[in-house]
Amino acid sequence: MNEKLQRLVMQAFRGIPSEMTIEFGDGESTVVYGDNGTGKSTIADALEWYFTGEIELLSHEGRQHAVRYVGGDADGGTTSVEVLTSGALGGKVVFPDERTPDMFQALRRETFLLRGRTLADFINKTKTEKWKALVEILGLDAIESLREDLQRARNDLRKASKTTEEEVRVYRRALAAGADTITDETVLANLQQICSMLSVAPPQSLDEVVEPSWITSAVGASASVSPSSDRENLVSEINALDEPVFDKESFAAWNALLSSGRARQLPRASLVREAKRLLEAQSIDAGHCPICGQKVDQKVLARKIETALVEVMEAARDLERFRDPILEQADGLESAREVRQAIYDRIRALALEIPPVPAQPDATIRDQVEALTPVAIAAITSHVADLRRWDKAAAKLARQIAPAKSSTRDSHLVMLAALCQQINAWQQAEKKNARAQQALTLAETVFDAYQQKQKEDLGNLLQQISGRVAKFYSTLHPNEELDAVSIEPWTAKGVELAINFYGSRQRPPHGVLSESHLNSLAIALFLAMAASFNEKLGFLILDDVINSFDVEHRGRLAELLADGFADWQLIVLTHDQQFFEHLSRRAPSWRKIEFTSWSHASGPRTTKYETSGTLAAARERLQSDDVQGAATKGRRALEELLQEVCEALWAPLPFRRGQANDKREMGELFAGVRRALKEHAKSQLPTIEPVVKHLEADVGATLNVAAHASRGRSGAGEVEAALERIEALDTLWTCPSCRTRVWHKGTPGAARCRCGKSAFPPVAAG
Amino acid sequence: MHRPSAEEFLLTLLESLEELPPDLAQRLATLLKKDHTDRSAAIRQLFEEIAGE
Repeated sequence: MNEKLQRLVMQAFRGIPSEMTIEFGDGESTVVYGDNGTGKSTIADALEWYFTGEIELLSHEGRQHAVRYVGGDADGGTTSVEVLTSGALGGKVVFPDERTPDMFQALRRETFLLRGRTLADFINKTKTEKWKALVEILGLDAIESLREDLQRARNDLRKASKTTEEEVRVYRRALAAGADTITDETVLANLQQICSMLSVAPPQSLDEVVEPSWITSAVGASASVSPSSDRENLVSEINALDEPVFDKESFAAWNALLSSGRARQLPRASLVREAKRLLEAQSIDAGHCPICGQKVDQKVLARKIETALVEVMEAARDLERFRDPILEQADGLESAREVRQAIYDRIRALALEIPPVPAQPDATIRDQVEALTPVAIAAITSHVADLRRWDKAAAKLARQIAPAKSSTRDSHLVMLAALCQQINAWQQAEKKNARAQQALTLAETVFDAYQQKQKEDLGNLLQQISGRVAKFYSTLHPNEELDAVSIEPWTAKGVELAINFYGSRQRPPHGVLSESHLNSLAIALFLAMAASFNEKLGFLILDDVINSFDVEHRGRLAELLADGFADWQLIVLTHDQQFFEHLSRRAPSWRKIEFTSWSHASGPRTTKYETSGTLAAARERLQSDDVQGAATKGRRALEELLQEVCEALWAPLPFRRGQANDKREMGELFAGVRRALKEHAKSQLPTIEPVVKHLEADVGATLNVAAHASRGRSGAGEVEAALERIEALDTLWTCPSCRTRVWHKGTPGAARCRCGKSAFPPVAAG
Repeated sequence: MHRPSAEEFLLTLLESLEELPPDLAQRLATLLKKDHTDRSAAIRQLFEEIAGE
């Protein structure tokens, strides 16, 4: 159960020089009446100081020290406030206040004090300020704080993920080397090319490369490649290949020789040689040719044979002169082909690709030469050309497979190491980026859900508060085209009040609400906050909150407080006697304290307000021979009564702007009562009409203040009779059991008193 | 009206969310129970740790 106040003891506090005690009984509601400056707000100040550690209005002005007695040296000694409650919250605070702010943490969310001066503070806050105030009141500040931390974490992760994304982009750009896109495959291809140049086994995937052991083994493999390896020998041999020799002109000369007459001598060479041998052997018959047998001179024959032999010998020498180089070339070409064939075989043995060595022409050069037939120059030319093409292919292959020279290998190794380092860094950046993205996704998921739930929960809370605000506001302003009051979320970090104004949604409502409507809204909000969220404090203090209210709305507020907050302890401070009277009638069980005056020397003076209000005050003045004062109070009492009757019976009265509504002509009020009774309780008219008529006469004479100026003691009796009639009229509407008006609950046509024993219209006896 | 603490609020929320790491709620609860000079940094670090696992 929320704690209620039982006693308040103030010493040397504010306007109290010594000590002042306010008794609240067993947590009873109390209405404190007093004119301005009589010190009644000291009660609110003391309770605010005790429960919050400060008096907000003084804090704003930097005058916290003013909690001490303001009149100079206090005779009461130390400034202190002592509170006795129904629970554990009571205690005593001595100035200077040594309590730390965290001691009030539990009460920071409690709503208990509303002052007229700060009434519309909440309403006039900005959307963000309203949000912050609500977040604190609703206890969402810790939740909001965690939301902010989640948001900061999310934002930091977002920045980190952008950084890692950029890192990945940089590595990709570097590895792409001008290419539009980069993939694992393209990077792997570059890597494999460098590996080929270094004659080391290329990696099969980038995962191999990122292992530090890979580059170590690659460097080792490159260094272990021997310069005298087969491959290098092969390359050396290819590079050492001589170009096949082919002197086309010598072959052409040979062919030309063969087709000349001298060459035709050659077949006769053996015959000529035989003839010479025979001649030299004297075996030739003298005078006859040994070949044809014709008679010839031996000398002539010897000369002819010698001549023929010379010609043959010369032809043979020419033939040999041309034949030897050709045969030499034939051997060279054959040898060249054989060398190439051997290289070809070794290339194939190393599983390298190269075209076969061109085959020799079908007829060999040697055979053609031996046969003294022309050599097929075109075929040889083609063969030589084929051999040269093959040489080019071999040279290309040699370049490809040639192990790098030492300086080139080093640079290739540097390239490989750099590439591996880049790939490694790139892969690390990709992994880091993936983790950053995952962390960001997680943070965003949690944060978004958190914020959404916070919004929904706040929406639900606002809905609950709004329901109460709307209910309290409509109690204060029934039957107006201003309804559906609510507190609504406004963007992510704001809330705003809203209201329907003749069907149009107004947010904020300042543009359509009068000052008193705004004040009603503030009071409704205050009460809704307390009713919704107070967990420790069971009392509410309202300090002069009805300044802008007309009499009708003061009555409704009194009714709302007395009925709607019967379970609460209300401390209502007011300088408005009408409101005090309204509360006194609607809540007769409340304690009543009147602050009558304040003096510098003695502080506030109070009296227990035991009378029933203005009418009692009139009687008191009459007893003290103050006839004029009694008449004035009596007239005021009658006005209040008629106002209240008209208000309760919804009597149609002419509208007066502003405060003038509270000061109607008495005749208007009498007319209003009659019209209301005709409408709702016609049977009451005969009973009431005689009293009303008398009172109308009293208003014109006995209760006419101006008429008393010259009256003496003789007027006292008339005033007393008038007061009795006022009391009689009052009694007609008041329940004898609970002393509340019989329209306390209900409508003008059917109402009951607070205890329910008396009805209006009265139920006929029997 | 019950006003939940920030921890209660967050844990209730996490229990309602699907496809989150199973021990996220427990680890966040442990984190929130400790005093941190910079709680947002601690939360960020936790998210990063979970992402790296």
